[in-house]
Amino acid sequence: MKLNENPIFITQRRLAHRGGVLAPVLIAGLIGLSLLAGLVAYRAVPADFRGFTTLHEAGKTFYAWTIAAEILVLVIGGFSRVSRTLAEERKAGLWDSNRLTPLRTSQIVTGYWLGSALREIYMALTLAGMGLVIVVLGELPLTLWFGTQWLIFSAALFFWLIAILAGLSFQRPQIGVLAVLIFLAIQPFSFIFPGFILTNFLLPSYGIINLFQRGAAPEKTYSEHDWVQLPHFFNLPVPPILLSFALQLSLGILLWREATRKTANPFQALMRRSEALAIFGILLVAQHGLIWGLWRGRFPNEAITQHPYPSDNPDSLFPAVHCGTIFLAVLILAAASPQPETVRVTILRRDIKTLGAIFSQSAVALALILGALASVVLFSHFAGSIAKSWEIYLIAAGNLVGVFLIFALLFEFCRLRHGRRAVGFLALWLFALCAMPFILAAVFGNSAFAKLSLLAPGVTALSSMGDENLNYLLGIVAAHFGSALLLWIAWQREWRKLLARASVDSKPD
Amino acid sequence: MTQPVLAIEHLRVDFPEVVAVRDLNLTLDAGDVCGLIGPNGAGKTTTMRAVSGLQECTHGQVRINGHDLAREPDELKRQLGFMPDFCPTYDQLTAAEFLDHFARAHQVPNRQKRIQECLELTWLSEKSWALCQELSRGMKQRLVLAKTLLPDPKVLLLDEPASGLDPLGRIELRKILLQLRDAGKAVLISSHILTELSGFCNKAAIMERGKLVMFGGIAELGKKMTTRKISLKWRGDGDKAIEILKSGGVKDLEAQSNSATFRFEGGTDGLDELLKSLVNGGTRVSEWRAAGDDLEQIFLESGARELM
Repeated sequence: MKLNENPIFITQRRLAHRGGVLAPVLIAGLIGLSLLAGLVAYRAVPADFRGFTTLHEAGKTFYAWTIAAEILVLVIGGFSRVSRTLAEERKAGLWDSNRLTPLRTSQIVTGYWLGSALREIYMALTLAGMGLVIVVLGELPLTLWFGTQWLIFSAALFFWLIAILAGLSFQRPQIGVLAVLIFLAIQPFSFIFPGFILTNFLLPSYGIINLFQRGAAPEKTYSEHDWVQLPHFFNLPVPPILLSFALQLSLGILLWREATRKTANPFQALMRRSEALAIFGILLVAQHGLIWGLWRGRFPNEAITQHPYPSDNPDSLFPAVHCGTIFLAVLILAAASPQPETVRVTILRRDIKTLGAIFSQSAVALALILGALASVVLFSHFAGSIAKSWEIYLIAAGNLVGVFLIFALLFEFCRLRHGRRAVGFLALWLFALCAMPFILAAVFGNSAFAKLSLLAPGVTALSSMGDENLNYLLGIVAAHFGSALLLWIAWQREWRKLLARASVDSKPD
Repeated sequence: MTQPVLAIEHLRVDFPEVVAVRDLNLTLDAGDVCGLIGPNGAGKTTTMRAVSGLQECTHGQVRINGHDLAREPDELKRQLGFMPDFCPTYDQLTAAEFLDHFARAHQVPNRQKRIQECLELTWLSEKSWALCQELSRGMKQRLVLAKTLLPDPKVLLLDEPASGLDPLGRIELRKILLQLRDAGKAVLISSHILTELSGFCNKAAIMERGKLVMFGGIAELGKKMTTRKISLKWRGDGDKAIEILKSGGVKDLEAQSNSATFRFEGGTDGLDELLKSLVNGGTRVSEWRAAGDDLEQIFLESGARELM
């Protein structure tokens, strides 16, 4: 079925047009015209614009503002629109009505994916058109326009897929929008080491800025240098557009599979275990591949002695990546964790009532697999220096496995024990385990308390470069595993209760 | 033996704290209109959602013309129309555009002609260019029914189709349902208002706390009933009639000067005998109504809770 024959796309287009598209297009046009007028004025009287030394510089500045507006409209506005449309149509029962038609799930997802944000697409196309005029008048290379537009539209399509999943998962679409806004708010922090942080390639800020910087002489500072040069993936230079596209495409395929599967059966968990593992693997390998060149497998000995700009110290980079890995795993475990109710129904359906069957379905098994994968990828930084740095590796890897396990166990325990109040209790436990030690450290003026936090051992070991009391950190990791064991016992007890209930329910009527 | 158009076998649906539907078995043939009756929370909507594929079921099979829902969901989508108990419409589309959306989705041949037919069937032709948000509740209900009828499904699941309709709307809905029955559709229609269903249902399924407590043809169920409510009218003196009724073992007798209502336990034969005794005793019976084929009577007989 062609897109213009897809009933959902047609309806979304009708709804967009009925709501009015002229005003948003005119707003975009006015923004573009204002910026274009600035460039025309510069060309007429350059002396009036003291901020610019060349026509190229003026053209780049005005074009940069144009695409900033385009990103805002297409990525943020589009994300909000897509997730809101899905959530509202689910609430109204229209999504179910569409699911009851013979439309294939891929056609339903496509209709919402490409049809919901048509207003934003029209606005973006207007801004892109204005941008092209600015590029031509500013005598900038057309590759700048093609490259930036490619990156913006591919990023928009990628983020809209996430919006589809947000709309399918959350009753309140604002949650998804909030997540994107948080992502954008923390994005500037990744500018400290632009070529080394993955988020600069997912939202392709590196690729866009790199296109603007092309041809400029690299300045002798670490961060400026990074925007100009090609990023390195396991020490091999890779064009940033290619890296962004490869990441968005590979993750996009997995997100697409999830969206179509969730459309076919909304009662399933958001992610299958294989998909969760693939997403985690892609992001993890990509991130560690970007920073691998700093130590080249000999952490922490190599440091960056062979790097062209050793004055810039990337000490905080590895701990930041460690925290990012934990954050990512927590999100994936939450998305892949099945509802206890779904597990109970599966137990009833299959008539298998063993803890082994539950373990195979629960997020705890996935936590172990993710932990193992993260440990293997982490090892790539220690492969050449493991004899000297084995303690650091053990602490960091043990910390990752421990945190993943504790989170998965806690998440399911709270769901089983507290039902609808699970999120609140989970937040309480995580606060106690992660944040409370830092508060105690501040209150008592003793940093030893802070190291008890779930997040602390790995971060401390990776940032210490070996000068920390590693035995103490190893002891803390062991204590975390002890906590995981206690949680494991409590987790088993809760599942046994559910199994007992399932046994009663499955008795013949 | 011909296979039923709709066959539900051992259907079970579990919710977190309750078994919403438990071991439900039900069959409908072409031309059957079955009233799915039960108090709020009995499991009527859950049954309908499970049959339509919107609700995951724990156990059980749903077959339409022999096609298994779990194995051939596409076949189900072609042959089954589900009308939910609320009216999901695109407020900013016109009635015709709304139907066009679903006609395209179902790949209905001669789309515009079929849309017109469905609009006419539901008396909405004059409103075809009105926005859905401008339609009254009753009109929206009919529009959603028109949408359900677009692909000409063999089986219709109508969940509380008359809720929120005014008296005129209910009369119109009843006419539409009679037309569907005559067209040979198998219709499962849920309601907790029995008067809505009386008159055109030939089958009844009574649910209580997720279980089907009674199912069958209305006449067949009426025959099975042990207790019947009878209303009687006569001309002339009624003393003799009241005397015969009292001696005939009736219960809850409420007598007026020339009429009486009572409950009778004893089946159809016993009831025939009572009538014969009245006539032979000289009572000039002008009206004799046994409410055995009445849904309300069947429901009360089923032992289910009172309807809300």
